[in-house]
Amino acid sequence: MDCNKETVELMHKYLDGELTKDEEIMLREHLEDCEECQKHFHELKRTITLIKSTDTIHAPNHFSTSVMKNLPAERKGTKYVR
Amino acid sequence: MDMIIKEKIKQVKKGNQAAFEDVVLYYQDKIYHHCFRMLGNAHEAEDIAQEAFIRAYVNIHSYDDRRKFSTWLYRIATNLTIDRLRKRKPDYYLDAEVKGTEGLDMYSQLASTDRLPDEEVQGMEIQNFIQQEILKLPAKYRSIIMLRYLEEFSLQEISEILDIPLGTVKTRIHRGREALRKKLRHV
Repeated sequence: MDCNKETVELMHKYLDGELTKDEEIMLREHLEDCEECQKHFHELKRTITLIKSTDTIHAPNHFSTSVMKNLPAERKGTKYVR
Repeated sequence: MDMIIKEKIKQVKKGNQAAFEDVVLYYQDKIYHHCFRMLGNAHEAEDIAQEAFIRAYVNIHSYDDRRKFSTWLYRIATNLTIDRLRKRKPDYYLDAEVKGTEGLDMYSQLASTDRLPDEEVQGMEIQNFIQQEILKLPAKYRSIIMLRYLEEFSLQEISEILDIPLGTVKTRIHRGREALRKKLRHV
């Protein structure tokens, strides 16, 4: 289980796009040998896919109208001049 | 699109209120979605998303147009959602943090009468289940996970939006992913 800590660290760096070349090789070689870490890595990547798979929710109708209605009054450059 | 928005904001700064509606129309779905994911409640999400745009309008002169407008807008919206979450009564909302615990909410304090994860997943649409699990994350992890994976901001941008150091963003996204991995591995 605890070959883990360092490898998990590498996995997260991978997910953030921050692995150096050497670290990438280290991670790949370790994953080839360690089923536990393979599974962990797979679950992490799948988690991200699942998060991304949630539907986009749209703002209710009249949203923008309602915002515009609630803005403070416009400060006009043009004052009433007689 | 960025150019068009830039131009609109210039007009708003010059006092053209109507130009702001185009800005709202362009960002409303994203901001509402973000608020909804943070708060888990449509009514509050609308309330806070509206407030975010109004604040953006009122403070438009403090927006520095050399920076990305969306980062600035998300910052306003995220701060408002976090304020709202803080104001919730902890005995009413289960996802409030329990005093004296680091990031533990009321869900974690409930006796485990839960069904097994497998049954739970079957009983609920997967989408709903994922949404619920994201909502159970402490807000400081949830905001980062969403900004990264739903809004696709870079870690650097997230650090600007939330005004926290890049290193903290990295630690939190790491923990957030691990927490969700444990919850979603049965899906």
